[in-house]
Amino acid sequence: MEATSTPRVTCTYLNSYVGKNVMVVGKVVTLRGDEAVIDADGNITAHLNREAHLSAGSGVQIIGKVNPDLSIKVLSSLDLGTSVDYSLANAVVEVTHQHKSVFAYD
Amino acid sequence: MANYGGGSGGGGYARTTTYGTQGGDDGGGFVGGSQQGSQGGQGGSKYDNDSLRPVTIKQLVDSKEDYPGGDLKIDGLGVTQITLVGQVRAINAQTTNITYRIDDGTGVTDVKKWVDAGAGGDDDESAGGASKGFALDTYVRIFGRLTTFNSKKHVGAHFIRAIDDFNEVNYHLLEAAYVHLALIKGPQAGGDGSATGGGAGDDSMFVDGGYGGGAATTGTGGAGGGSAVPSRVSACSRNAQNFYKFLSESVGGGEGVQLNAIVAGTGLSAREVLTAADELLGTGLIYTTIDDETWAILDY
Repeated sequence: MEATSTPRVTCTYLNSYVGKNVMVVGKVVTLRGDEAVIDADGNITAHLNREAHLSAGSGVQIIGKVNPDLSIKVLSSLDLGTSVDYSLANAVVEVTHQHKSVFAYD
Repeated sequence: MANYGGGSGGGGYARTTTYGTQGGDDGGGFVGGSQQGSQGGQGGSKYDNDSLRPVTIKQLVDSKEDYPGGDLKIDGLGVTQITLVGQVRAINAQTTNITYRIDDGTGVTDVKKWVDAGAGGDDDESAGGASKGFALDTYVRIFGRLTTFNSKKHVGAHFIRAIDDFNEVNYHLLEAAYVHLALIKGPQAGGDGSATGGGAGDDSMFVDGGYGGGAATTGTGGAGGGSAVPSRVSACSRNAQNFYKFLSESVGGGEGVQLNAIVAGTGLSAREVLTAADELLGTGLIYTTIDDETWAILDY
């Protein structure tokens, strides 16, 4: 079951998830070719796949693997539009790390 | 009540303890009582636990039944009606049902929606036009019932709808965490005995009555300890609170109370008692006496 869980993280948690699949909710800051910078409590570089349809300035949820340089290789992405409450999303990340019995496998 | 207060203290306490803890341990009360009782009552009492509970998929995956064929439990409370939120990862449409594979980041589960051939009606999925249901990777909210089939858990969906506002996903996760915390730590309330909820209300009433009678005649030490109990363990889990309460009401607490006696007295499982003991040991509220499975209250 662990393989199927993708913990929700922000930029600050990335270094403890190198080599693992994670889920990030953030705002697209810049978009250049197949590389995007996503703000999730800090800027994260994301290497997009071909299916990704992002637009700068709107929210996005990406699921991907954390590289050793703390960038993310995107496996799946979802455009969330512009009405995303980012402080809420970051708060949820904190809660999911505080109460692991509800959200995460160690 | 008057009998307990005025009569020989020890016997009175021991008996009220039995009644009290069984009443206070809500949900688990019947388990301690008798199994045929819980089975016989299943048809009638099934709807008692039918409150809708927000959950994460990990909680569903982790849920366990006390005995084969029993109700699945999360945080010690039986779950039937649930609501969950997740992304559709796979759709398997058949003539009688559609099975969705739902992923919410904490795990993956199968959700089965039976196709109602007669109603071409107002469900979101049929209104969406396609009989195949939702597009892949869209977020959906599911209302349903957690069931097991061939010892495999799945959710039987009553209703599924697409989520328009992504914030609902985060809202749901917070709500699931809130409900989880309310169940394991008890609802937030004032520090005293009434804090532990409805069932425990009777419990604390008995105990206070007993101690009150004692205080009026002789011992004030017991009364002092009794009223101090809830505030000292108010930060602990519900199991730990029941454990502590049982310990404080036991006669001859100096020698400590053995694991089996606590299991019998509180209606908790041995594992739950051990977990609660660890928690109370960690906070320095109890200590082990003659062996590792006998505990007494650390009074200071």
